Amino acid sequence: MTKVLVGMSGGVDSSVAAALLVEAGHQVTGAYMKNWTFDVPGMQCPWAEDLAYAKRTAVKLGIDLRVYDFQEAYKRDVVDYLVHEYEAGRTPNPDIMCNQDVKFGLFLDTALAEGFDYVATGHYAQVGRVAESHAGWEGASQAEVSAPRRSGLQGAAASPCQLLRATDAHKDQTYFLYRMGQRALQHTLFPLGTYTKTQVREMAEQRGLPAASKPDSQGICFIGEAPIQDFLRMYVAPQPGNIIDAETHEVLGAHDGALFFTLGQRKGLGVGGGQPYYVVGKDMAANEVYVSHNPHAEALQTAELTLENCTWLAGAAPTAGSYLVRTRHTGQLVESAFTPHGEAAATITFRAPQERVAAGQSAVIYDGEVCLGGGIVA
Amino acid sequence: MDFDREIYLDHAAATPLDARVREAMDPFLADQFFNPSSPYAPAWETRHAFEAARADLAHAIGAKPAEVIVTAGATESVNLAFTVVGEKAHVVTTSIEHSAVLACAQAYAHTLVPVNHHGLVDPEAVRAAITPETRLVSIGLANNEIGTVQPLRAISEVVQQLRQQRLMECNTTPLYLHSDASQCAGQLDVNVSTLGVDMLTLNAAKIYGPKQVGLLWVARGVQLQPLVLGGGQERGLRSGTENVAGTIGFAHALQIAVEGRKEEAARLADLRKGLQRQLLAAFPEAVVSGHKKHHLPGLLHISFPGLDAERLVYLLENEGVYVATGAACAANKATRSHVLEAIGLPPEVADGSLRLTLGRLSTEENTARAVEIITRVVRTEYERVGS
Repeated sequence: MTKVLVGMSGGVDSSVAAALLVEAGHQVTGAYMKNWTFDVPGMQCPWAEDLAYAKRTAVKLGIDLRVYDFQEAYKRDVVDYLVHEYEAGRTPNPDIMCNQDVKFGLFLDTALAEGFDYVATGHYAQVGRVAESHAGWEGASQAEVSAPRRSGLQGAAASPCQLLRATDAHKDQTYFLYRMGQRALQHTLFPLGTYTKTQVREMAEQRGLPAASKPDSQGICFIGEAPIQDFLRMYVAPQPGNIIDAETHEVLGAHDGALFFTLGQRKGLGVGGGQPYYVVGKDMAANEVYVSHNPHAEALQTAELTLENCTWLAGAAPTAGSYLVRTRHTGQLVESAFTPHGEAAATITFRAPQERVAAGQSAVIYDGEVCLGGGIVA
Repeated sequence: MDFDREIYLDHAAATPLDARVREAMDPFLADQFFNPSSPYAPAWETRHAFEAARADLAHAIGAKPAEVIVTAGATESVNLAFTVVGEKAHVVTTSIEHSAVLACAQAYAHTLVPVNHHGLVDPEAVRAAITPETRLVSIGLANNEIGTVQPLRAISEVVQQLRQQRLMECNTTPLYLHSDASQCAGQLDVNVSTLGVDMLTLNAAKIYGPKQVGLLWVARGVQLQPLVLGGGQERGLRSGTENVAGTIGFAHALQIAVEGRKEEAARLADLRKGLQRQLLAAFPEAVVSGHKKHHLPGLLHISFPGLDAERLVYLLENEGVYVATGAACAANKATRSHVLEAIGLPPEVADGSLRLTLGRLSTEENTARAVEIITRVVRTEYERVGS
């Protein structure tokens, strides 16, 4: 019997994922990951309630639930990274780092060390397994791939697993998973990959799972629903600076630190009152934020993205060519020219200018349904 | 809740409103809605009814009406009691107090007196903890988690001796004894002169009264500081329009609890004895915590070593049996109970702890049924974890 350690957050997705694994006849154990949390005054991270949901669900499914304390790793790899990136003027994505370092890093390592064959999560994504390499797997919900898809997949022969987009295009979470790595792919099950969110809610209800009517979690996992700026303001000393009109160079007002602002941001500027202003740029060294009335300002458009810190699920960068590119979760897949510069860097050239992406965000490359990997926008 | 089918064993967390209490409250939620401070006659009637309720509350605990301050629940009452402390003063309390008391104590220099493994406080340890700067000693009459009843009378004697000593030493710092008896009315004697305290906290919600109503009884001469500023109600200590219906409900609930105490305490003690005997017979490895003799009659704290109490709670919930794991607050924080740590219960025992509290909804029939269900669920869980 396949031994699976399924991450259970207490939410509807991971609850149904666990239920499906139990029904498929696997030897399933639940795992609650206690991540680092920070209580922003007036808002409380709901982790204790989430743990109660997870445990309730485990009891319902008749499986054990282990609680793993990953606070230290989470603080170091996600929270400190996040703060550091903001301080450098970038806009990082904590969920991507959490997946890379915690869920498909520490959690996977822990599971394998404890003798599990696979970890599973409630992510909406699919693992394509090359036929001959999946002998140990009897599951039904995994896509089967009989051969590597196309020439772009260098090294695919040595990399038996592919990350595929979920059936539910509105929920597809491959954007958050592109850094999980080939080794993790080989030991991961995504039981929800072929279902839609509506189906998942229905399955939860049919099975009477505690999370059936629990609303989806919002916001950033470690601070709950508090705005990220509130968190950063408690962590980073404020440093007053000017908000400047990018066109007229007129000083419009003051801000308490350029790092709190992100490209394209409209709310929370505290200037104007009439027509809205958009952040079109910032100078971290001068601690200045530049704004414009024009949401289509040139500074907000770009025809090219430079990527650094790239990772590739096949283990090697795809060959140059035309691929689909996405720059935010469930964002539009735009056909673009891709040019690798070694393994860790690349350039993406759009056919028509696109909305510019803040530095620190990720651009993820797809070949049809296959998520190839991606990098961090420089 | 379906009272015929479901079994409620968490009376220490909340109690259903007594029908008589509800009836007494009703007019003040409807026709007699007036603000007691208003000048016209119907409002005066409301004011009189409210003051009569205060008098009833006072008489039920052997006190005078002017000494009773109505608060929004027990936590607020405890917070008000702690206003006697003032800056730079010292507080003595125990390591097993309710979080309301512990959190208040943490705002001051404080000493937590340890307890023995039955949860009992040694009055001499209290004496040793009191310094010349101590202004307040706050010790709960009965622990809300394991039910141990403290020797408050003996502690009161220690406090009185130390007061005498301060007089001789010309130390003008006052020394007061406060007790939170929220869990106790209806099960123990809560007469203020018998207890020998200077301040007493009571809670309507635990005695079949409305929630968010409590009181602080304050002996004459104790100087409190205002907790809520405003229109000067409750001697200016706790401003805000009086909770007339709630206070009237509280007064009825307390009277009923005090009048029926002896009979109900004996009935609950009997039920508890049966519950304990049968569960220990089925699980000889189970551990009962709290003092054997000095405990709340309706509370049984029992641990099943090696099991996860939260799982038991959910499994029992599926069977319509509602119980607590330790204290509700501690369970929500998913941290180990400070009370069980203080009595030295090993973690693997503490993690399998259930608090079963009997009350007016408990009968011989449903308690027997609860024993049967708990036994079945615990046995299944032991089989699942493979021991």
